[in-house]
Amino acid sequence: MKIFKYFISKIFLRKAVLGISMILLLCMANYITFTSSRSILSTFQGYQETKYINQEGNYIANLDPDSHMDMGLINENGTQAVYSYLNSYYNYAFYVDGFIVSVPNVDDMEVHLSYMNEKYYKLKQFELLQGVDLSFDYQLDDEIPVLVGKGLSKTYPVGSTIRIEESAIGLPITLKVKGVLKQNAYHSNYYALNSKTYYNFSILFPVNKDFINHANIDLQLNGLMDITILQTSEEGVADLSEVLKDNLGLDFNFFSQKENYDYFNEYYLHSLKIMATITFVLLAVITCISVWNALVSVRLMLKDFTINLLVGLSYSKLRKIFYIYFGMLSFINLAVVFIFTAFNRYGCWIRKDATFVTYGLFGLIGMDWLALLVVVLLDIIIGIMIVETMLRKIKRIPISLGVLQ
Amino acid sequence: MKKSLFRPADILELSAVYILCFSLNFAFDYVKTIDLDSYILKSYFRPFLEYQLLIVILFTFIVVVFHYQMLCRKKAEVFCRILVGDTAFHITIRYAMDCLLVLMFVYLLSTLVNVYWNFNLISNLHLVAIFITYILISAWQVRKYENF
Repeated sequence: MKIFKYFISKIFLRKAVLGISMILLLCMANYITFTSSRSILSTFQGYQETKYINQEGNYIANLDPDSHMDMGLINENGTQAVYSYLNSYYNYAFYVDGFIVSVPNVDDMEVHLSYMNEKYYKLKQFELLQGVDLSFDYQLDDEIPVLVGKGLSKTYPVGSTIRIEESAIGLPITLKVKGVLKQNAYHSNYYALNSKTYYNFSILFPVNKDFINHANIDLQLNGLMDITILQTSEEGVADLSEVLKDNLGLDFNFFSQKENYDYFNEYYLHSLKIMATITFVLLAVITCISVWNALVSVRLMLKDFTINLLVGLSYSKLRKIFYIYFGMLSFINLAVVFIFTAFNRYGCWIRKDATFVTYGLFGLIGMDWLALLVVVLLDIIIGIMIVETMLRKIKRIPISLGVLQ
Repeated sequence: MKKSLFRPADILELSAVYILCFSLNFAFDYVKTIDLDSYILKSYFRPFLEYQLLIVILFTFIVVVFHYQMLCRKKAEVFCRILVGDTAFHITIRYAMDCLLVLMFVYLLSTLVNVYWNFNLISNLHLVAIFITYILISAWQVRKYENF
């Protein structure tokens, strides 16, 4: 330890420029790795989530990008007719989110309502922290059973009621909290799998046929945009497309499991491959610069190293000192990435960004910790490369020559 | 070049670090021009593009490392030159001129690349200003070696 302190104070800190540059280079490498790993992890989490919905025989609807939406031509009769047809001939998973309601809570967050029907709820398999599953058998004038996110459960624990003045059915409704979702329960966007909305400040609202029939046109129309038709066929969705076209004047595409997987392979895997390649190239360049920086350090500190070797310092001890020194630099960088991430997560709380607010140790969620682990692995690899290169360089120079310099 | 502190390897090294900095800036400008239809790639590049200036400026620290190690290594040579009749002033001027020549050469190269890709020609100018500042600071350090 004494020799290490000596090396730090008398050798490394005397050439602080080289240490700072190494910290900056490692910081870039760590940040690039962290960002890429988190994007890839988040995409695969989204992919896993869609597996619940994207099963054989299921078709996910999507409004054709070329279809012109004229709200003047769409009326409640049209949407009612579509839902009557859906209820008569199909099983479907209904999900709509993003409706903000005024519900006071201790964290003063906006509260989002996520509407879903029983089929969607069963497919998604929500994990609960407390309470019981949603029940879809209720009357509109009764208390409606709901699930709330962990953040909202502080104000509205299981058994409490929530009064909503402006609901999708145009009447005040009373909600009864039946359960609390596991912390950081999320929903991935079907068309951007790496993008998530968290349910910590959301209310999961059960939707039954009666509710849809009484709901306003916004909810009915939004529900059709991402509707999933279950256990049907190409002919089945073709008939539904015609009904949608006739009643709403909109062209919908319905994508089968195979089409969705093809889309994933073509679009997401391609993007992930590009991202991985860019990351690899950048890391290779940064590693090369770091090795150059390390060799510059050897060039400038050779005299100090060789004098110490002359007076009895072994190469194995020098290697150990280098590894500890590099470990310290890596630790500083990890701390920077960690603080930056924690600050970003905390920023969502400050901005009251309810859909991105998360809970976790020091504000970091599982995905962040995994990405940090990848960063640690990368630092170990870069560290081994740099330290071994430095030692090989030092060993190639005779001690006597080094001392003479 | 005869009286220069620079050896061919040093010139190559300095050119390489300048090229790396200009290339990084060029890469950012290039990414901005790509019409990305992939949300993943857009969200991947967004944090980097937001901090482009900061990242590029921090990256220029490798030029500081070059100047620093160059001057440390040439300490004895500067002193010896002064011993045999050269002046610290002339050594400083020559050092600054050599650095500026390499910088001008790399800047011209980067300008040609920018012209070829129809990029903004002044997008690299801030880098030139930063590098000139580094050169002036390091040239000032050369004068200090008068008293070895």
